[in-house]
Amino acid sequence: MNTPQNHDDSQLRYAEYVLGVLDADARAAVAHELQTSDEAATAVKLWHRRLQPMSEEITPIEPPGRVWTRIQQALRLDTQELARTRPGLWDNLRFWHWLGLGASALAVACLALLFVSMGLRTPSTSPAVPYMASTITHTDGHVGWTATMDIQQARIIVVPVAPASFAQGKAPQLWLVPSGQKPISVGMIAANAPTTLKLDRVLLAQLGPTAALAVSVEPAGGSPTGQPTGPVVATGAIGAAPDSGQPHTASLYVPWRKWWG
Amino acid sequence: MNSLADERRDELSELLVRIAAGNQGAFAELYRRTSAKLFGVCLRMLVDHGEAEEVLQEIYTTVWRRAQSFDATRASAITWLMALARNKVIDRLRQRHEHAPSHQVDLDGLVDEQPGPATQAEASQEYRRLQHCLEALEPKQRQSVRAAFFSGATYSELAMRCQVPLGTMKSWIRRGLLQLRTCLDA
Repeated sequence: MNTPQNHDDSQLRYAEYVLGVLDADARAAVAHELQTSDEAATAVKLWHRRLQPMSEEITPIEPPGRVWTRIQQALRLDTQELARTRPGLWDNLRFWHWLGLGASALAVACLALLFVSMGLRTPSTSPAVPYMASTITHTDGHVGWTATMDIQQARIIVVPVAPASFAQGKAPQLWLVPSGQKPISVGMIAANAPTTLKLDRVLLAQLGPTAALAVSVEPAGGSPTGQPTGPVVATGAIGAAPDSGQPHTASLYVPWRKWWG
Repeated sequence: MNSLADERRDELSELLVRIAAGNQGAFAELYRRTSAKLFGVCLRMLVDHGEAEEVLQEIYTTVWRRAQSFDATRASAITWLMALARNKVIDRLRQRHEHAPSHQVDLDGLVDEQPGPATQAEASQEYRRLQHCLEALEPKQRQSVRAAFFSGATYSELAMRCQVPLGTMKSWIRRGLLQLRTCLDA
């Protein structure tokens, strides 16, 4: 029943969300609604359009140069990498977002099938799909992130399964842990969005069935020591290693095969 | 002048479309053009310089990753960017909610009613329209809506700072918002 009163009430919630007066819980409730309701999303957009002109009053202030440097580092922006980038499914963030939201054994199993069915690397012409995958699981058993490694493109995409919250000034850092060796930093990952990171030679060489991925809680700029300084909150096994002489033919390994096999 | 503003907006939209396709040059250009504006917003609302820098970084990393969700037919680039920025800033404010200093201020002292730089020649048509509708509100309503917009504070925080009952603050802002909508959509 959409009476004028109800209509005004829900309109007000969207306006209050945009204005910023809701407390954390009420705000989260509207944010959740926005993901499922087009009507809510449209209403919020309209309120942004109505109220935002006020920000024209705010004097622009040039941010310090270090912010841009940090952004570049966080995103691993690198023109050479860009030139080698192959457009397609990998770059489709909607797809990764979907994968993150629905991440489960099934979703990644589908991914495996999809890559094969798309003929990116058909089994008849190539012995295997050059991707590896991992589910990074919290100590309480919940899946925190899914990670997929593209060996040929030397990159890893890490997708959060559910938004995670960290204390102010803290952020998750991803580590590759070769068996019996010290962790190697892969990079900072976002708690609420997919992150793509470059895999350098050292990391690529260590990817294998005996290695694992781990996430620790570090200062927002990354561990100051190069080794995990905060608690390790999640870990995951990695798929089968490439043959030592053939780093480009790693087979896709789904470590949670037991869930669907 | 409006056509110049429109042209600038179209350029920003085009940059976002190129960013969605992974163009790093376009990303650098968008940062060059918009970061001072967004940093101003971060600093105004967060006050803390370090936090403003952190949130600005978060905003642009999100822009890079989510540029594909920008739909030029449905929103202007600057509205999209500013919505993203305000969301990040307000989320950050809610995170530190418990530690926020709750100093008491008189409402009149809380809000800077001085016209900002935008009321000069470069003010957009939208800004003038909103300004006109804000001026039509009762002073308490106008001041509380403006205070909320520029501080990102919750109802309770605003009520506490202005030393008025929570219900009073809610009523000022809600009536102000509904009246603004009526005026702006007319």
